[in-house]
Amino acid sequence: MTERDERFLRLNAALDGELDAMASLELERDMRVDPAFTAEYGRLAALRDAVRRHAARETAPRALADRVAALAAPVAPPGPASAAPKPFRQRVWFDARALALAASVSAVSFAVGAGLMTLRMQGAADGVAKGLVSDFARAEIVGQPFDVASSDRHTVKPWLAARATVSAEIADLAQEGFALEGGRIAVVDRVPAPTLVYRKREHLIAVTELPTTIAGARGGRAIETIDGFHVARWSDANMSYIAVSDIDEKDLAAFVDAFKQALKPAAEAPTR
Amino acid sequence: MISELGQRRFREIVPPLLDDAYTLAKWLSQSATDAEDIVQDAALRALKALETAAVDRPKPWFLAIVRNAAMTWIARNRPKTLAYAGDLSDLDAIDMRQGEDDAPDPEQALIALEDGERVRRAIAALPSPYLETLVMRDVNGLSYREIAAATDAPIGTVMSRLARARALLAKTLRAEP
Repeated sequence: MTERDERFLRLNAALDGELDAMASLELERDMRVDPAFTAEYGRLAALRDAVRRHAARETAPRALADRVAALAAPVAPPGPASAAPKPFRQRVWFDARALALAASVSAVSFAVGAGLMTLRMQGAADGVAKGLVSDFARAEIVGQPFDVASSDRHTVKPWLAARATVSAEIADLAQEGFALEGGRIAVVDRVPAPTLVYRKREHLIAVTELPTTIAGARGGRAIETIDGFHVARWSDANMSYIAVSDIDEKDLAAFVDAFKQALKPAAEAPTR
Repeated sequence: MISELGQRRFREIVPPLLDDAYTLAKWLSQSATDAEDIVQDAALRALKALETAAVDRPKPWFLAIVRNAAMTWIARNRPKTLAYAGDLSDLDAIDMRQGEDDAPDPEQALIALEDGERVRRAIAALPSPYLETLVMRDVNGLSYREIAAATDAPIGTVMSRLARARALLAKTLRAEP
């Protein structure tokens, strides 16, 4: 290594705050006697600053942060002694489960508990639906309503299966006028849940499939309006479904009927 | 199955480092979507590792995993990009000076530094050993020692790669109109 290279290394180290006191002293002395050396330092500093300014650290996309958080989501919140405040949705869920347990203790407390539980569950239900509505609104604004774009069920299904904890049921509703556009992952109670996106004309319908055990997955009125979007909820033996859309109520009801029909056990389903 | 302990370590370490991880992965893979896959893969590896051991210095530790995940990813999907890693001796021949002897025009150089797109393009064009060193230093803010640990290289190598990365950048920005 030439003396010159050595000097350039020292300049870099000085710039990066990696020189010890003695080396810094020596560098200062060299700079005082050699203006060219000082100029070189100035150029290097300007370059370093430009790199920092133009290649700033970026924020990880929220979907990525959600997926990573879901890798190590707490299984169940610890007991009531836990001091840490919980997110609202999760707390309500826990309360509902605790109440369910208490309710089973005796018939009397069952009556009381069940009454309360219905109240709490309604709160959780609204929380889940609200989260999905804001997902939907965000996807519409960003213009990326799905992470995997495909009208082919056999493409969407494995993509979702690789990312969610439950396997998605995908209804083929093209004949009913609802074309499958793709899928994405929603995170509900920190659990990744498969979401299917269908299109009718210029409107989108996002159906999120949840285990029936998630509080708020069931219940609620048939079709309600949250923040200007229509939300439909229904369940079958295995799964609960929440559909969020900007189509009108009548069309959403038709979609729900078609979806239910398509996923009926083979014996009952019309030939497809 | 991951224990509660492993999950707790993970929650303390990984989420606060996601922005750093994502940015590094994006520079190394030069793609936002690939960066997401790489970071997710790295997070999974981290979760498995944290099951058996605690970590002293989380940032260089996790960024090393991200870097290795990116290498694996690139080797699998774009083997040609890795050509440089095989022959580092070529790189060491690169002149460390900023090329100030050939027609220095400080004015011109300063203008180039204002052009964000140009600067980013010049960074992206760096050979990968230089790129990762520069990004870990100037974007992620790792110390020389931490970069040495994360890239599994001696500290002298880190120093010369960083110096060469900056010299190359300066040269590119000077040459290109």
